[in-house]
Amino acid sequence: MKFDIAFMFVALEAALRYTPITLMLATVPLIVGIVFGTLVAVARLFKIRILGSIFKIFVVIIKGIPLVLQIIIINFAVIGPVDFLAEKFNWSFASKDIDRLYIVLIAISIFSIVNISETMRGALMSIHKGQYEAAYSVGLTRLQALRRIILPQAFPVAAPVLCNNFIGLIKGSSLAFIISVTDLMNGALITATSNYKYLEAYVASAIVYWAICIMIEKASVVLEKRLNLCSKEVAV
Amino acid sequence: MGKLFDFKLIFEYLPSILSRIHITLLIVVLATIIGLVLGIFIALARIYKVPIINYLAIMYISFIRGTPIIVQLFIVYYGLPEILIGIGININRWDKLNFVLVTYTLNTAAFMAEVLRGAITSVSTGQSEAAYSIGMTRWQAFYRIIAPQAVGIALPSIGINIVSLLQDSSLAFTLGVIDVMGQAQAIGSRTLHKFEGYVAAAIIFIILSIALEKIFSIVEKKVITDKLVGDSR
Repeated sequence: MKFDIAFMFVALEAALRYTPITLMLATVPLIVGIVFGTLVAVARLFKIRILGSIFKIFVVIIKGIPLVLQIIIINFAVIGPVDFLAEKFNWSFASKDIDRLYIVLIAISIFSIVNISETMRGALMSIHKGQYEAAYSVGLTRLQALRRIILPQAFPVAAPVLCNNFIGLIKGSSLAFIISVTDLMNGALITATSNYKYLEAYVASAIVYWAICIMIEKASVVLEKRLNLCSKEVAV
Repeated sequence: MGKLFDFKLIFEYLPSILSRIHITLLIVVLATIIGLVLGIFIALARIYKVPIINYLAIMYISFIRGTPIIVQLFIVYYGLPEILIGIGININRWDKLNFVLVTYTLNTAAFMAEVLRGAITSVSTGQSEAAYSIGMTRWQAFYRIIAPQAVGIALPSIGINIVSLLQDSSLAFTLGVIDVMGQAQAIGSRTLHKFEGYVAAAIIFIILSIALEKIFSIVEKKVITDKLVGDSR
C-alpha cells in the first residue's frame, strides 16, 4: 500500500466543500463566547453577589471536562428528555429529528464562553486600577466606566489571545464527528469509507485545518499591529 | 431504559472507571516528560537558529498547532506503520496505546518548545552577555544563568499545557484504548446507561484537572519563594 496522492486531492475537495460547516461551528461560538464570556468575566471581576460565585464554580467545572465529553453529555442531555417526553405524550417528533449540528453548536458555545471569559478576565485585570479610580472620580458609573474606559483598553490586550481561542475552536470543532456531524474532517473521511484510504483523508483534512489556522494567525498579526497603532494615536 | 437519569448508577460506575485511570495518567506523564526533553532541543534549535533544523522546527510546530489532535492521532495511527515498513520495521502488531503515546508526545513537544522558547528569549540578553564576559562558554551560560531564570517564567504555561494534555488524552478512546473515556464508553454500550457512565468520567476529569492546577500553583509558589530567598542571601 502506498500513499495515493490522487485520492488525497479527492478527499481535499470534499474537505473544502464542508469547510463552511467547520467555520460556522467555530465562528458562532466565538461571537457567543465574546458576548457572554465578557459578561461572566465582568461579573466575576466585580464580585457581583451570588452570580459571581456561581460563574466561578461554572468555569472551574466546565474547564475540567474535555470538549469531547461535553459534546457527548450535552447530546445525551438533549436526547434523553426529548425521547422521554415524546414517548409519554405520543409526539410524532423524536430526538432523531433534531439536527445534531445544533447540539454541537451548543456544546462548543459553552466551551467557548468559559475559555473566553478567562481571556477577558485576564485582559480586564491587566488594566491598571488607577483607570477605574479616575473614571469613578469624574463621576462615571460602574457601567459607564466599563464601556467607555475599561473595555476599549481591554480588547486590544485580549485580541491576540482571542485569536488563539478562535484557533482552539476551529480545532475543537473537529470533535463534532463524535455525534456524526459532517464537518471538514468527517466530509473528507466519507470519501474514504469505500476504499479505506483513511490516511489520505486525514492528511487532506490536516492540510485544510493547517491552512485555516495559518490564515487566522496572519490575520491576528495584522490585527495586533492595527490595534497597537490605534492605542498609540490615542496616547499621543 | 426506564429512568431518565439515575444518580445511584454514577457511584456504581465510578470504581470501574477509576480502575482505568492509570492509562490516562500514563499518557499524561510520559508525554509530558518526553515532550519536555524534546521541546528543549527544539526550542534551542530555534533560538540558536541551527540551519535547516530551525526551518523544520518552525514547520513542525506550525503543523502541530494548526491541526486538531484527533487528526494527528489518526495520521500517526495510519501513517507511522507505512513509514516504518519502508525502512523495514513492522509495527502492525503494536498495541494501540503506543500510537497514542507517540502522538501525544509529539504534540506536547511542539507546545513545550514554544513555551520554553518564549521563556528563554524573555531572559534579558544582558544576562548571557554578562555570563560570556566572565568567560563562560555558551553551554555554561545557558545551563547556569539562563535556564534557572527561564524555568520560573515557563512554569505557569507548562502547567496550563499539562492540564490541556490531560483533556486531550480523552481522545485516546477513539483508537480503542481503554482509558477513563474508553471505560465509560464500554460501560455505556454494555448497560445501555450511557449517560451515567459519561457523567462519572466527567467527574473524574474535573477532579483531576483541579488537582493538577492546585499542584502547579503550589510548585509555582515554591519556586518563586525559593528564588526570593535565594536572592536575599
